[in-house]
Amino acid sequence: MKFIDWFLDRFRLKTSHKNIFEREIPEGITYFYCFGGIAFTAFVVCLISGLFLTVYYIPSEKEAYNSILRIHEEVTFGKLTRGIHKWSANVLIISMIIHSLRVFITKSYRPPRELNWMVGVLTFVIVMLEGFTGYLLPWDQKAYWATVVGTNIVGSIPIFGEEILLMVRGGYDVGGATLIRFYSFHVLWLPLMLFILLWAHFHMIKKLGISKPL
Amino acid sequence: MKKKFYPHYLTEIIFFAFLTFELILVLSLLFSPKIGREIDFQVPYQPRPEWYYLWLFWLLRYFPSDKVFIGGILIPLSIICFFMLIPWIERKLEWKLTAILALGLLLFLTIITIIEIFS
Repeated sequence: MKFIDWFLDRFRLKTSHKNIFEREIPEGITYFYCFGGIAFTAFVVCLISGLFLTVYYIPSEKEAYNSILRIHEEVTFGKLTRGIHKWSANVLIISMIIHSLRVFITKSYRPPRELNWMVGVLTFVIVMLEGFTGYLLPWDQKAYWATVVGTNIVGSIPIFGEEILLMVRGGYDVGGATLIRFYSFHVLWLPLMLFILLWAHFHMIKKLGISKPL
Repeated sequence: MKKKFYPHYLTEIIFFAFLTFELILVLSLLFSPKIGREIDFQVPYQPRPEWYYLWLFWLLRYFPSDKVFIGGILIPLSIICFFMLIPWIERKLEWKLTAILALGLLLFLTIITIIEIFS
């Protein structure tokens, strides 16, 4: 019960919303406070470019590589869209690192914001997993062997390793089943988790306000 | 002067959002992604991950293949748990020690990433 009380209090579900124009901005905020917003912008850019890429990308063993070629050579702005997707992911991760550092150094993770800090760490992990699952999708030499190495890690778990490896790969080897699985994680499961986590993150910022600089 | 959400803060947010988008656009116009080679099972290939996974790559190479579990799962999971529990760790250890631990860990991850970049 104590845990539930703590959770409900930190999540601020029972207090009312303040109108966005009436929220207070504490004094002494520096430009380092921008990096959360920059990360979110990069996320939105990544999401939209990814939506456009799914129009032409085909997640199958035979077609994946060719569809990437087609995106590069035939699709209008295809190469640019892929570039934007890649670079926005990089900007996202860099700005998330700086954002976390800023939160840590200004001690903004302290109560009552500790739940929001945990949500942030979890978001970081999911974004890293997005990077890992997205790496396989071009289905080229680099992607294939990186995924073999990456999923081998999962297989090293004692007792359940083999079962989990089979679940991740969809078979004993990295193949067409793995590609579809990773595609599903990359475009459905992980983004859905990110939506929920980011909603919680922003909800708590709205309720708790921006932390006062030291 | 006290900052207000509107117009000061909102203007800054929009400004930085545009700046971010332009940075991404310039980067992708200057360095467009390359097409990799087609999968060839005959050719041995040493894959390299993206820069944000190089620390894990170093850990994997540091531990022998029968101890992959330690380098690939146990240590990364402990790092995640450490960062997640920082609000409680700080209450136990005080700010100074926590900062040394966290920034030290970050420095370590940065160093092994740099080692991997140049190896």
